[in-house]
Amino acid sequence: MANLRPPLPRALRPKPKGPSEDNGHAPTGAREAVAEKGISAVDWVDERTSLSGGARWLMFRKIPRGTNWFYTLGSATLFAFLAQAVTGVILAMYYDPSATRAYESVRYITNEVFLGEFVRGMHKWGSTVMVILVFLHMGRTFFYGAYKYPRELNWVIGVVLLLLTLFMSFTGYLLPFDQRSFWATTVGVAINGTGPLVGPYLNDFLRAGPEFGTTTLARFYALHMLVLPGAIAAMIGAHLYLVARLGTTAPPWIKTDIDPELRKEDA
Amino acid sequence: MPRDRKQSKQPKTTLEEQIPGAFEGETVSRRRFMTGTAHAAGGIAVAAFTLPAVGMAIGPMFEKAEQNWESVGPIGDFADDTYIPRTLTIVRGIGDAGKTTVYIRQYNSQLDSEERDEYNEFIAISTRCMHLGCPVRFVGASQRFICPCHGGVYDFEGKVSGGPPVRPLDRFYTRVRNGQLEIGPRFSVNSELRRFSPRDPGMPLDGIGQYVYPARPTTRKIPGT
Amino acid sequence: MNAREKEAYLREYSILKSQGKPFFPYSVAKDGLMAVVVMASIIGMSLLFGAELGPKADPTTTTYTPRPEWYFFFLFEVLRVIKPPSLTPLASIGVPTICMILLFLLPFYDRGPERRPERRPIAMAAGLFTIAAMAFLTYEGAIAGSPNQVDMEAPAAVAAAGGETLRQWESGKQVVAQSGCLACHKIGHNGGVLGPDLTEIGSAASRASLARVLVNPTQPMPEYSALSESKRDDLVEFLAQLKTGSH
Repeated sequence: MANLRPPLPRALRPKPKGPSEDNGHAPTGAREAVAEKGISAVDWVDERTSLSGGARWLMFRKIPRGTNWFYTLGSATLFAFLAQAVTGVILAMYYDPSATRAYESVRYITNEVFLGEFVRGMHKWGSTVMVILVFLHMGRTFFYGAYKYPRELNWVIGVVLLLLTLFMSFTGYLLPFDQRSFWATTVGVAINGTGPLVGPYLNDFLRAGPEFGTTTLARFYALHMLVLPGAIAAMIGAHLYLVARLGTTAPPWIKTDIDPELRKEDA
Repeated sequence: MPRDRKQSKQPKTTLEEQIPGAFEGETVSRRRFMTGTAHAAGGIAVAAFTLPAVGMAIGPMFEKAEQNWESVGPIGDFADDTYIPRTLTIVRGIGDAGKTTVYIRQYNSQLDSEERDEYNEFIAISTRCMHLGCPVRFVGASQRFICPCHGGVYDFEGKVSGGPPVRPLDRFYTRVRNGQLEIGPRFSVNSELRRFSPRDPGMPLDGIGQYVYPARPTTRKIPGT
Repeated sequence: MNAREKEAYLREYSILKSQGKPFFPYSVAKDGLMAVVVMASIIGMSLLFGAELGPKADPTTTTYTPRPEWYFFFLFEVLRVIKPPSLTPLASIGVPTICMILLFLLPFYDRGPERRPERRPIAMAAGLFTIAAMAFLTYEGAIAGSPNQVDMEAPAAVAAAGGETLRQWESGKQVVAQSGCLACHKIGHNGGVLGPDLTEIGSAASRASLARVLVNPTQPMPEYSALSESKRDDLVEFLAQLKTGSH
């Protein structure tokens, strides 16, 4: 009758022996003890989350033969986005999105705060680098034909990410509130307003009124640091999931070394 | 196969489905009713926080912005053959960011083609280019307004004389009180200088333009002008 | 792509994939190196160029010349070049929207199974053309000056003459810049396209005819009779020196 019982859940089955147990003696050295503790901590988490399968699926999936340095442009873009997120959070600790104090607070960041100009410079030039990387990554995808079956949806998500990145740079441009910011935003909002029928209302929404007003900066700030980064993070998640799910493309000129005779039969 | 379809007709009432405890004429089973109600309750709960949040975000689109008249000096300051720049506050409480520059002159019966009324004894012209909102400058030598961005040029009346702008420069209502010139809210004009509720730059007002780019609830021209 | 081509691709791809190396650590190592390059360039640019902060926003200005961030230069140039007012909404919202829709739908109208660049001539030509067009527009947008300045050095003859000739030339250039000539006319790289190009006007018109046009122009050019006598002389002198091959 014992055979009819359901099998023991994986987590409760006896574990294979750890590296130190193989020798037949209990861990003695400090290093061994630490390693043992580490393994048991990971085991503890995995027993409760079952994440190890997913991590193995993500990290040890195979990348096709022949990939080159152009394949790092996507992860480089992700890295630039993370750098923007970190520097942006720090800048937010000093910035004040009000029409009367925004410029002063940015001047304070630039001139007074320790490393302030450096971090603001990283954020400013990071946006340029990110835009360049997005375009390069898109160019690689286009020239390698990587948007074709079965990766069409990932191309669409990528174009959404391009749009969101450009919106990010547009909303961020106003925040330092110097002459360049103000007039570039004025022109940008006017361009937005030329959309037929909805344009005028969209402008009123963006500015929170018919003119640049009390809460316009706060609105751009909220879009720039909450709404758009959230959307970008979610889209990057979907993008990466699809990359892992469908696999990285091989360069189009790489072919398998199967016997040409076999290939003929195949067709 | 119309016959087949008739035979395998869906039961209409719970009674026909032979559900125990069914009532005569009952079409929705109690189980389905409860499930539907629970989903609806969830929907209401989600709406209960999204609708107020969305309402708060779009509220300013329906609020009329305050309009005020601001004195810019005695009427003797302004000539009828050239423009004098003056600075106005159009949005209060945000310091310099709420100001704008207007070019002001007296009505000139030889030059001006529009009809004279109580609001245009003085002409106050906005410095926003009607292409995309860059700051235009009045150049005395050529009697033209010139935009530095995309090459818009306007003549002495503010009408487009070249480049991409889609309508003449916007204007402000003016009136005289106790010998002082007062500047009021902004309005837009089409190529015949007919007045319209203020629009943003880039929105034509000739032909169907005024319907393609409608007036907004936040700002209106003075009724009857 | 039909069902057979899809299957052929998936089969080929799964073989290539099985012949590849795992993402960790091989690709991760490359990505990490690339991340270092990215970070180094960001830090380098921050250290080299700093974080410039211009003068405070001033909505009352009438002398400021707004320019966008460099990666919007191509759009800026499109807006500058498309002149007729009836086409303005097309330039500002129409062209960008159409481009974005074409970009979104790329995998849905380009459905052929071929992926090798040399066997996709139409796609490659379209892609290279787009890149070239964006590069050209970006360059043109970048060098577009303000209509309030003339980017030009004094021609060799004038510079050599020095003295009064050079002073008059510089003064005339100043008058051109301040009078808004460049809103309609092109001089050198800078200026509009409504009126005739004045870059080589000195070879085409005499001083007398230039002076006559300034006071009594053909429509739609405005009169410049409001200019003082000396300023007008300087202006004519400057224009007369704009000769073929002089700069």
